[in-house]
Amino acid sequence: MDIKDFIAPFAVWKRAFEKPFTVKKPIDDRPGAPRYRGFHINDADKCVGCGTCEAICMNKAIDMVPAPGHDAGPGDSGLRPRIDYGRCCWCALCVDICPSGSLGMSNEYVWIDSDPEVFRYTPGVEPKPWDGAELGYRRAEGYRLLDEHRVDMPELHHAEAVKSFLELVRGYSRQQAEKEADRCVSCGVCIASCPAHMDIPGYIKAVRDGELDTGLRLLYETNPFPEACGRICTHLCEEACSIGTGGDPVAIRWLKRYIADQVELSDYAKALPRAEAPTGRKVAVVGAGPGGLSAAYYLTLLGYKVTVFEKDGEAGGMLRYGIPEYRLPYPALDKDIGYIESLGVGIKRGVSIGKEITLAKLRADYDAVYLSTGLPTAYGLEVPGDKHPRVLDGVAVLAAATRGEELRLGERVAVIGGGNVAMDAARTALRHGAKVDILYRRREQDMPADAEEISEAKAEGARLVEKAIPLEVKDAAGAYAGKSAIFVWNDAVMVQKEPGKRPVPEPIPGAVREERYDSIIAAIGQGPDLSFVAESDGVPMKRFKPIVDADGKASTGTVAGAPVFAGGDLVNDRKDAISAIADGHRAAVGIDRLLGGKGA
Amino acid sequence: MNELANELARRYGARDWHDQRPNLASVWVDAIRVHDSLAWLKDSAGYVHLSFLTAVDNIERKAFTLTYALRNHEKSHGLIVHCDIDRDNPTIDSIHLLWGQAWTYQRELKEWFGIDCPGSPRKDEEFVLEGWDAPPMMRRDFDSLAYSQATYEDRPGRESADPAAHMKQKLYPEASL
Amino acid sequence: MKRDAMPRIPPEEKATFDLESGKYLVMWQGPQHPGITGNMSLRLVIEGDTVVDCETHVGYLHRGFEKLMERRLYMQNFPLVCRIAVPEPDFNEYCYAAALEELAGIEIPDKAVWLRTLSLEMIRLASFLMWIGGQAGAFGHGTIAQWSVTMRDYVLDLFEELSGGRIYHMYIIPGGVRGDVPKGFLQHVLETMDIIKKNLDDIELVMFHNAVYKMRAQGLGCIPPEWVDKYGITGPNARAAGVARDLRKDIGYLAYPRLDFQPLVGKVSDAYERSQLRLGEMYQAIDLIRQIVELMPKDGPFREKLPNPLYWKIPAGETYVAAECTRGEYGFYVVSDGSDKPRRIAVRGPSYTHAVSVMERLVRGVNIADVAGLMVSLHTYPPEIER
Repeated sequence: MDIKDFIAPFAVWKRAFEKPFTVKKPIDDRPGAPRYRGFHINDADKCVGCGTCEAICMNKAIDMVPAPGHDAGPGDSGLRPRIDYGRCCWCALCVDICPSGSLGMSNEYVWIDSDPEVFRYTPGVEPKPWDGAELGYRRAEGYRLLDEHRVDMPELHHAEAVKSFLELVRGYSRQQAEKEADRCVSCGVCIASCPAHMDIPGYIKAVRDGELDTGLRLLYETNPFPEACGRICTHLCEEACSIGTGGDPVAIRWLKRYIADQVELSDYAKALPRAEAPTGRKVAVVGAGPGGLSAAYYLTLLGYKVTVFEKDGEAGGMLRYGIPEYRLPYPALDKDIGYIESLGVGIKRGVSIGKEITLAKLRADYDAVYLSTGLPTAYGLEVPGDKHPRVLDGVAVLAAATRGEELRLGERVAVIGGGNVAMDAARTALRHGAKVDILYRRREQDMPADAEEISEAKAEGARLVEKAIPLEVKDAAGAYAGKSAIFVWNDAVMVQKEPGKRPVPEPIPGAVREERYDSIIAAIGQGPDLSFVAESDGVPMKRFKPIVDADGKASTGTVAGAPVFAGGDLVNDRKDAISAIADGHRAAVGIDRLLGGKGA
Repeated sequence: MNELANELARRYGARDWHDQRPNLASVWVDAIRVHDSLAWLKDSAGYVHLSFLTAVDNIERKAFTLTYALRNHEKSHGLIVHCDIDRDNPTIDSIHLLWGQAWTYQRELKEWFGIDCPGSPRKDEEFVLEGWDAPPMMRRDFDSLAYSQATYEDRPGRESADPAAHMKQKLYPEASL
Repeated sequence: MKRDAMPRIPPEEKATFDLESGKYLVMWQGPQHPGITGNMSLRLVIEGDTVVDCETHVGYLHRGFEKLMERRLYMQNFPLVCRIAVPEPDFNEYCYAAALEELAGIEIPDKAVWLRTLSLEMIRLASFLMWIGGQAGAFGHGTIAQWSVTMRDYVLDLFEELSGGRIYHMYIIPGGVRGDVPKGFLQHVLETMDIIKKNLDDIELVMFHNAVYKMRAQGLGCIPPEWVDKYGITGPNARAAGVARDLRKDIGYLAYPRLDFQPLVGKVSDAYERSQLRLGEMYQAIDLIRQIVELMPKDGPFREKLPNPLYWKIPAGETYVAAECTRGEYGFYVVSDGSDKPRRIAVRGPSYTHAVSVMERLVRGVNIADVAGLMVSLHTYPPEIER
């Protein structure tokens, strides 16, 4: 103890003349830091209501509630997160994980009210003073809890791909599949967009957990064509995927394929349900495409004896004859069909209804009939000269390729059209060594084909001629006469005729061009062939389509005989495999109900 | 460190030495030798510091696994000593004479797991759970959620919808699939 | 009381007193904060104005964290762990994250290493600033608390700027940290360090060259060096007794091996020297923070990508990760059974021994007026006892 110990404490007095540390009314003058984790904000238009915030919230502070003005629809559940500030701990994991990035936090932290109930609200839906706050917590650049990048799919390089009909997409390895499955947040927003309403989160979980038998069972609950759909499905689910709102959507289609690829056909029976006891009733299915065979599969499970009539030499319909094998190899399709046949479904190949046997006979011999005949008739170009021998039909070209026939397309090939058939025809022609032009009357972004089909066709060397309105097909001159044809088209501009509608191509006067081709493949579209349906069958039509009820029933019951159901491309507007499969399943349930099965 | 592993094995039948990282290892002994091996580690092997002791409920194999975390300051090395005891008759020798703070941990073991350390001071006094009448709370079969639901009331008016179920109800309620 | 008047190590068994004799008085101190120690209480047996026996009672801040964590996903526990210690949540965040990273085999980027170190040293400073207010206040010197708590708020301002939270920063996330430093932040850090250093100089002058403080704190609660191993004493309480142990040096985690510092040691671990040592560690923290600001890489990734947190499973295994917090050895023992939730997490806090076994023995023979000061001089924090 020295004298300093008695004097030093008085040094505090020097502070008496300094400015105090405290400030007046700090609440008024002190905004939160730019990163402050204050009250939540949500861009309700960007939010898709996936509920991942609710899933990560360790306090159970978030409820998903219906939000006025946000209806359920493709890729939007119509729900929005409601936050209970009695439980929230402001950790902002909800912000970190939000797939769309719609959730954030403002830097506002003062909210005083005498009613405790108000501290439970739906940000972005119930207006608050801090809505749209610039400052506040957002996840930092380069920091995300979810992976926005899809696991790359090993694919043949385009230069390699175009040389053969080998399958392009090689499929995920186990490690790749599990990593991709890990990206899914199991929100289930995709299910509504799938025509068959497959249990997508369920089978992705099965991939994640390595339980592929469970995965296969879940696939077959709604879709007996997992090998085919795992390759060529139009994957509306991926468009709805919540992860896709802030990155690449989960590769749902490839994961489905992974499950089916991994389980051997001989092991299917162990994983999948057995048929119920026979009901003693018989059903005829017309058309062995994905829709017809799906109906057959589900009817068989319900205990019906099913016979499928197929006009072609092989089952599979457009999956076999319309899709080239580099996209859907035949062994994969055979695996799907093989399992359905193994359950006892009889497929009568090469039997055409209307020729070998009439619909009326089926209606007399069976307890129900399901029509799933699809759209076998190609539309013509409908221009002068379209009957030229070098004008070919796209579907026919693809079918001939499937049958292994010599195509003799020549060196220069034009494909007219912008759908998937056009792309498949173009890429088939490329594989036969041709130089290929794709001519389409609108722009590339207007093409109905899948974007990846278009980009792959281009990458493999097809040249795209946009805004080309066909005018005429002429015979080539000189040495090429009869062997080649001249395709004449008019260049067009896109004109916005009516606001809100899509623009239409208008020919540019005088901008007429022509090119000589060895083959001109028309892939404009296809129509049904319902010549086998007679007036007396009692199946009313509208615009060449059978009119069906919610169960898929087409016959009205005014004519005696078994009820007729219809589905697939013949009936629906989607015109893809998965819709046909959904229709087949729906009709199977409808037939069962009508015939007094369990669902009756 | 293998020297120590061998020595422990020779003296106390220790087994399953595992180097978790260069400065942390774990080893297993029989419950009956845990006191002696800890005493030896403390007095003769330089592991003078008891970081903590606790238990892990391995309900699947009907055992509590005791964990004694020691530290050798000279070698800057941590050693976790494990032993299994019967979950139905959970008793273990007290080490309160080895370390002055051990009795508190043993009191915690009694209250949280129901593990008895005979001779440990004040082991039966309440530790943190005043008036606790449920089973020992850290046992795996004590369901804290069920307990809290039975004991406390939820705030009324909270309900949440599952996105997939909500969309089915709104968009395709008729689907029988 | 003489500074080297060491207490006799009392028997492990509790002494018994005839409370009916009229000679003794039972008195409870707490569970209100008796000087920023957290809510716990001491049951004192008093003879005259001298304490003859003491029992520590905890449980007032028990929230069952270890049980709660067993029910939650690994990532969901990240916002939970910081709540185990309010004045220095970052040590929980670091130990938890480091344990998971070790079990899952994840190496974090260098930038994250530095940012974690910065965050831990900043909270060390903030925690000590709050403690010194309590220490001075317990001896009737409230002015120090006015200054030091303000300085602590300046550090919290920095945390708010860095992480978006003042008290619970939730910044050290498994895999790294949640963001790089904002623009201008490091400059703010350096400016704030200058202000705090100036204030520490004032505190040093007024508090440690103060006859009253010296008379009351010197010789109060002497921890003999041989108690250190006996009771598992760590941190400044042990270092003040001349035991030069500091996990930052001994384990050398995070960026500490790349920083220039030496553990501070004292000679006699009494209340005065312990507080002096902590003051020294505050200066040391300021120095370390300045070093970190200088040495830290300017850019680079700050977080390693982890699997989807909704399904993140950690391979079966166990580990114990410890760090030197302001009070000593702070650690997380994590056992994984390979699922997406921890099998067991145990938190090791230094107060477990300091506030119970050590406190109960040190307080015997102390004047009741000095109990609060003694308690604060051990820098106890009950939630790490009862979790």
